[in-house]
Amino acid sequence: MVRNDEFDTSERVASSYNPLHTFRLPKGEDRRYQHQFADMYFLRLAQVKPMVEEIAQEAWADFKIAGESPRRVDRVLDVRQGELCWMAGTVYMEMPLKPNVLDDISKEHWIAAPPVREKFLSDDALDQVMLEDESGRLRLTGAYLKTQILVTGCIIAALGTENANGEFEVIDTKVADLPRQPERWERDEASAALSGKKVKQERPKAGKVAFVSGLDISGADDETIGLDLLKSYLLGEVGSVNVATDIDRARVSRLIIAGNSFADSSPIPSRDEVIVRKQSKKYGYDSTTFNPAPSAALDSFLADLLPSLPITLLPGVNDPANVALPQQPLHPALFMRSRNYANPPGVNGNAKGEEEPSWFDSVTNPWDGDVDGWRMLGNGGQPIDDLYRYVEGDERLDMMESVLRWRIGAPTAPDTLWSYPFQDDDPLLIKECPHVFFVGNQPRFESRVIEGPLGQQVRLIAIPRFRESKTIVLLDAETLAVETMAFD
Amino acid sequence: MAPKRKTSGPAAARSQQSTLTFNGRSSKITKPSATTPSTKAAKKLDAADIPTPPETSQIDVEDIADTSAEKAVLEQAQEEAERVAVQKTPEEEEASKITEAQIKKYWREKESKRMVKRIHQEDVSVHERVLREFDITSQYGPSIGIARMKRWQRAHRLGLKPPMEVLAVLLKEQEADNIKAQRSHVDELMSSRFNES
Repeated sequence: MVRNDEFDTSERVASSYNPLHTFRLPKGEDRRYQHQFADMYFLRLAQVKPMVEEIAQEAWADFKIAGESPRRVDRVLDVRQGELCWMAGTVYMEMPLKPNVLDDISKEHWIAAPPVREKFLSDDALDQVMLEDESGRLRLTGAYLKTQILVTGCIIAALGTENANGEFEVIDTKVADLPRQPERWERDEASAALSGKKVKQERPKAGKVAFVSGLDISGADDETIGLDLLKSYLLGEVGSVNVATDIDRARVSRLIIAGNSFADSSPIPSRDEVIVRKQSKKYGYDSTTFNPAPSAALDSFLADLLPSLPITLLPGVNDPANVALPQQPLHPALFMRSRNYANPPGVNGNAKGEEEPSWFDSVTNPWDGDVDGWRMLGNGGQPIDDLYRYVEGDERLDMMESVLRWRIGAPTAPDTLWSYPFQDDDPLLIKECPHVFFVGNQPRFESRVIEGPLGQQVRLIAIPRFRESKTIVLLDAETLAVETMAFD
Repeated sequence: MAPKRKTSGPAAARSQQSTLTFNGRSSKITKPSATTPSTKAAKKLDAADIPTPPETSQIDVEDIADTSAEKAVLEQAQEEAERVAVQKTPEEEEASKITEAQIKKYWREKESKRMVKRIHQEDVSVHERVLREFDITSQYGPSIGIARMKRWQRAHRLGLKPPMEVLAVLLKEQEADNIKAQRSHVDELMSSRFNES
């Protein structure tokens, strides 16, 4: 008989986890939808404008063209023709190809709906860029605009002059740039200091964080191979026989699933289809409308991993969570077996009344929190996918960088991206710079480190869809280096 | 087939059975009383009988339709009133010390900056005038869909320095239980049912 201590057992590295609940909305009746969306734009402008103006003031105070130095203008409409000046405001893109409610109405009257457009860009003459604030809008022109990524909702300061047509010719723009970045372990140390514990604790060496998105589980048979390989890898079953040297797999300390765990297999039927369906009554539940296979398949996938690996699950655009951002956590009722690993509802962990983070954490989309001390911010891909439709090209990392530099997590919300009408405070604003910014469901894996004016460094990760690419991303939580692992 | 009945002309038609009618003249459901009610009502209807609109301060939030924006704003106003009753923030403490004379002085200064006095505001109280001016000031954000008190608090939180006198007026209106004053006038104009076009 083989004795067990001949073979070394490998223990999984523990993951230090401290999530934030920034994007949680109030429950039920406390959610108000009668608010105006103008409040959101006002909140963004009021909070980001001072910072943009500060940066613009520093940059352009000594700027001179033909001996003229630019003047700061308070309101967008106060510009005078021929005078070099600068002001800050929100960008608004007037694009005729943007989704229009009139298209929805025409869909009801005509048989064929127009095909969904990939991008909203049209010919140059039709797309207009405007700068807007509380006083009004001003049209921007100039060749400089083509070099910048601009979408509706981002806040910039523009330097230039008004020309004879009444349009503002832009020479230069400035954005708010990255906000202050907290130190690693800052939140944990702050809470430790407040509760009187020793501040500089010895932190154990952190492992790797695995990111995956676009699992697209629908219960079909052809996807089980990829999922099983992934499961085996994460559980440490795959690898070389000599456990002592191949320590990689035991070092994966957490799995973060960034959206689209369910496949888009049962789309919402249109009005005509619903009428046809209503006429054909069936006994029991109609399997064409409800199919338990996807959630059962996802649940068994998670429940196999959960005994040894903590998981953070973000909803995505195909998942059964609400449509408007911020999407609320997936309901534990979907996961019959996995919810045993989540905290029961209404449990308060420690004396401060803060919730203890659960082993199986179903979280909001977008989401931020501390993993192994690093502040992470991520979403399931909707803001970046929406941004993609406004700009030329497919540089996803550039778009992610712009989002951070504008300090607005989803600039196109609520214009073309559905969002909850925030009135008092907009959590989509990025007030603290994360160390890692991950976006799920992107066409390919990309990663980069960007730098900020105060020495901030952010690792940007674009996570590919697992169903197509069969790759996951591994982030080393000590060095913030990324690598991928493919399963095909 | 039954034998054909002979009918000829209007004279013959009148001799037939009376037909069923459902107009009120020939088929009465009730017994006729000594004096018919319609004549009584016609005498009594005069200007004194037209019911006066309810006092603005006693408007009940439950009477308004559940999903209307008006209800949302008034509910917000009620929450703010309850919050202030429990605990005042420092700026509210300061604002509650501002007297009527100071408010009037503030308003006179604002008026003096204009070339002409505001027309169409003769029958509006000074309090309401101050509040309307606060509604229109766009730098504190949109005034539609938010209670005035909440808007002031939001502007204060964002560091936009809204005037203390406006908070004083709002607190005084709250003490007078005037919940209607919490909904901005612009909101009422924009969502009035006569505006549907």
